[in-house]
Amino acid sequence: MSRRMPTPELGGATALILHRPHATVQALSRQLAAIGLHSETHWPELAAAAMAADFVFFDADQCHDGMFPWAPGEAPMPMVALIGSETPGRIEWALGQGADAQLLKPVGAGGVYSALLIARQGFEARRAALAEIAALRARLAERQTVVRAVLLLMARGRSETEAYAQLRALAMAWQDTIEQAARRICAGSDNQAAQQATRKGRDV
Amino acid sequence: MRRRLEIGLLYSPGGDYGAMASACRRGALNAVSDVNSDAARAVVITVVERDPGGNLDLYEPLCTEILRDSDARHVVGCVTSSSRKEVIPALEKAGGTLWYACPYEGFESSDRVIYTHACANQHLLPLLHWGFAAHGRRGHLIGSNYIWGWEMNRVAREVIGAAQGMVTGERHQALGDTDVGRLIAELRVARPDFVLSNLIGQSSRAFLDAMRVLRTEDPYFAEGCCPVLSCNLTECELASLGDAAEGVVSAGPHFAGAPLWGPARGATAGSSFEAAAYVAVAALAALEEAGGDTAAAMARCGIDPETHHMQLPVLIARVENGAFRVIGRSAPVAADPYLARRERWPGTLRPALRVVT
Repeated sequence: MSRRMPTPELGGATALILHRPHATVQALSRQLAAIGLHSETHWPELAAAAMAADFVFFDADQCHDGMFPWAPGEAPMPMVALIGSETPGRIEWALGQGADAQLLKPVGAGGVYSALLIARQGFEARRAALAEIAALRARLAERQTVVRAVLLLMARGRSETEAYAQLRALAMAWQDTIEQAARRICAGSDNQAAQQATRKGRDV
Repeated sequence: MRRRLEIGLLYSPGGDYGAMASACRRGALNAVSDVNSDAARAVVITVVERDPGGNLDLYEPLCTEILRDSDARHVVGCVTSSSRKEVIPALEKAGGTLWYACPYEGFESSDRVIYTHACANQHLLPLLHWGFAAHGRRGHLIGSNYIWGWEMNRVAREVIGAAQGMVTGERHQALGDTDVGRLIAELRVARPDFVLSNLIGQSSRAFLDAMRVLRTEDPYFAEGCCPVLSCNLTECELASLGDAAEGVVSAGPHFAGAPLWGPARGATAGSSFEAAAYVAVAALAALEEAGGDTAAAMARCGIDPETHHMQLPVLIARVENGAFRVIGRSAPVAADPYLARRERWPGTLRPALRVVT
């Protein structure tokens, strides 16, 4: 692996545990405390204050959608599923909630640390990927604007290649993306056209 | 001199699942008494018993107590999947084995548990195939709102889909909820070919009572049409359900009057719970007597050493005049707890060769 992970600092982070009182909760809290996290147990639901937590551990056997203060899959922090019943239905539900890692019940003396790291890495990778997809979608939506801008520049007697090169040069000069620069060019042309139309209107 | 073999019993005869727990307990004790009265056997079984009283949080400590305070390494017990999950850590710590004698949803294969009752390819799959052939492929799925209901209906939905059938509706009822009006109203509109009910306890009773009324009101649901299929209705609940259970079609390894399997061949039992617990004690006694290669001894008892599940007969039976009448049976089926080995799935069942009442 080319990427090196520095020893993650988890000390002081808050982990919420959504599970009925049970030996598994004690074992989990003990491991979290040993790592340096502050943990709180909640049952049967998480209050809205949970939004500020750094990690959430939830019972994949007995929890349901209504116990979380967010929509399924939209938890604002990494989540770890506590799995007892390895049935496809429950696993699918836990994944739908956005579980980034899992711990098999009963929780014993280990496993929490790796679950925290895997969940955080997975959560961040997922969030970064979603942000990138959103940015790419936005750029994709501007395809028509780029085509219009190139056509406008071509109208000034340039070839398609020259027009596109000019668009890129303008984007660099304005420190914009190609799409933003294209939008400016189109907006400028629209203003011009509007001004011309007004002038013509006055002339008429 | 016969060797003393101590075993644990961990059932809650007075809890919510009292009828099933009592049947299991009876089967286990019958097997103990049959082994003990057979002078040819190498072991004499003594029983150490604990009763968690239906409290989920008491199963693990009481199982620990049996394994710590007695010589027992085998514990026959647990009715619900959640209680089974609770005792597994205790078994792991002490090197004990749980003999689990109830039908369950599968997706488990603990090396500390031997499963002597059916999982989905031994109850649900054959029951659905029977339903498809006899009534059609449009199924309505109902169940109690916990792991048994969720998973059984999820698998049923897949099987129905794979058979190009149709799920006309699915509803889960909170545990103990007896308000089944909405369920019946949906059924009345959906008009399926059959209803798969994974309801348990009071909800199941309320549903069957309401179904009985629906059958008199709406000719589509008349007697003999649109049957209720179940993998968890056994003789344990039959007497208390009365007429409401008439016509329900159930699947399991045993119905009263049918022969027992594996090392319990020749014995009798009043329900599949009783039968599976009897088989559990018969098998653990046989394993203890065999010694040596455990895997080979397990296989001789009909236990798959890979999955720790038992090869089981599959019977389909309909409630008629207050008793189950077997209407279909198949050759013994090896368990496939993860539904991952298609070769273990049943095809169509042969019709019953003889009537067993």
